[in-house]
Amino acid sequence: MNSQPGLEAPISAEEVEHVADRAFRVRGRNLAELLEKAAQALVALDEEAPLSEHFVRQVIEVDGSDRETLLVNWLNEILYLEQTHHEFYDHFLLSDVTENHFCAQLYGRQLDHSVTSLKAVTFHNLEVKESSEGLEATVVVDV
Amino acid sequence: MLSQQNFVHLQEFVWEIPATFRDDMRVPARLYADEELLNTALTDNSIVQLVNTSTLPGIVKHAIAMPDIHQGYGFPIGGVVATRLPHGVISPGGVGYDINCGVRLLVSLTTIEEIRPFLQEIASALYANCPSGVGARGSLHLTNTELDEVLHEGSRWMLRRGYAQSEDLDRTEEFGRISEADAKYVSEHAHERGRGQLGTLGAGNHFIEVDRVAEVYDQATAAHLQIYPDNVAVQIHCGSRGLGHQICEDYVSRFQKTAQDYGITLPDRELVCVPFDSWEGQEYFRAMACAANFAFANRQLLTHWIRQTVDQVLAGRIKDFHLRQVYDIAHNMAKIEEHEIDGHRVRLCVHRKGATRALGPNSPELPADLRAIGQPVLIPGSMGTASYVLTGTAGAMQQTFGSTCHGAGRVMSRAKAKRTVRGVELRQQLKSRGILICAGSMSGLAEEAPAAYKDVSQVVEVVARAGIARKIARLEPVAVIKG
Repeated sequence: MNSQPGLEAPISAEEVEHVADRAFRVRGRNLAELLEKAAQALVALDEEAPLSEHFVRQVIEVDGSDRETLLVNWLNEILYLEQTHHEFYDHFLLSDVTENHFCAQLYGRQLDHSVTSLKAVTFHNLEVKESSEGLEATVVVDV
Repeated sequence: MLSQQNFVHLQEFVWEIPATFRDDMRVPARLYADEELLNTALTDNSIVQLVNTSTLPGIVKHAIAMPDIHQGYGFPIGGVVATRLPHGVISPGGVGYDINCGVRLLVSLTTIEEIRPFLQEIASALYANCPSGVGARGSLHLTNTELDEVLHEGSRWMLRRGYAQSEDLDRTEEFGRISEADAKYVSEHAHERGRGQLGTLGAGNHFIEVDRVAEVYDQATAAHLQIYPDNVAVQIHCGSRGLGHQICEDYVSRFQKTAQDYGITLPDRELVCVPFDSWEGQEYFRAMACAANFAFANRQLLTHWIRQTVDQVLAGRIKDFHLRQVYDIAHNMAKIEEHEIDGHRVRLCVHRKGATRALGPNSPELPADLRAIGQPVLIPGSMGTASYVLTGTAGAMQQTFGSTCHGAGRVMSRAKAKRTVRGVELRQQLKSRGILICAGSMSGLAEEAPAAYKDVSQVVEVVARAGIARKIARLEPVAVIKG
């Protein structure tokens, strides 16, 4: 996971210590980048998936009543797809992003079994905050 | 920043933050701990989380935390909150994602020494036959109709299909079924996540453990439960798997808006809640009951496979080996219960998040043969350390809505545990102490290192001396099967 906020690209993510679960702080210049980077941070919490030649793509739409709900619904949908389709995603393309809705393409690989150790993304103390670099949020994930 | 100065020391092992501490508190916040465990709790955000739970609408008496308290999300792990019905709230985050995560204990009349020559074979066979890992899929493939039957019937479905003995259901909290379950309030996503996962263990801190009964503190009660020194015991720790995770996700997300509609403001969005008697509250409760039934059925199916596996390994080697169920408890659940408040019987929604129901003697919810001794309470320790069998007490009924602790409680983050402990070395250390480990992930093993947890014996000592549970027996591990 990229944990160097001083780099040229102002989007980054870093894991934050949490006693029982996992957490990461993510930044983006705008909501689309924040959502994309959060997805990358989420999948980076898991151990590396075994190599597979079978590439997959999923196309989904995500809704939420506000930015935080949109973020949580998005990340939980990734976990749902990984667990039910036995896939691991490492690239995310987002489009038509608003505060309540967006479209996403998820690219990754087919696996024999799901490798994620993550149960769910929580709303715990979640707030998508304005920062000097754009937007920032800290996400706690139940494991 | 909270400190010991913010607490009133009410009596030995009971500390309270008065309701005047923060404007939004509705009741005091109470912690069961000795001074060392209190100071440990102050090193993370768990006490702030405890205070936050005291703001839930309809909460009665006090928000409670057990000595195994540690930082969670929304509620602290080890938290108990009771709200007055019908208008008090129900909070999906107050139950958690792993709805009805719990522990089941089986015991045998055979000693561990008798089966020791076959232990490695038993451990390997259990690891092969009881699928583990978060996304693991079981070998029981259910149709949509069958899955809904499981959600409605819980362990009864397993009995009907030959995966249970009727005595198992008598020795399961709620007799293995919550009757309010209604699968029409469970999303298609949740159905899909749960469909292939019945009979699977999961990852994280879930496990199957073969134990030796190391010490008995109350011989009469232990004998009543057929727990005898040096005999074989088996614990199963798991929950409702992806189905429960998805149900919690669905309702926590949906209630973000609904809570606002009810004018409920909270210090943490994970605490979202709605009035229990609202139609949204009823929908969640019925969906939660489905996940609870799935978890009861899940532990029952694992029980069946454990019995079958051990029987196969010991066939022709050990005569009359049988694993009898002592009890099965939930430690993430919201239950509708009656408790006495100011001399009146009051219906409450009791949220236990990382806390165990501990009904005292003569509780009508218990099967007849357990009423004299109170509800068995199962407290698993961290990997490689002791576990405890306790019973509920009258003190728990008076002080904590019939609740007690649920385990050791973490003190070290998973990331730090992985940085400081190597799974392979840990497995070797445990092996040198006579504890076999079968695990799918060495980093997962490192996360669960004993050093990442509090001392379970210290936690149990607090609840016993505070009078909210009674010590019956101590178990020590000889083989651990993990995801």
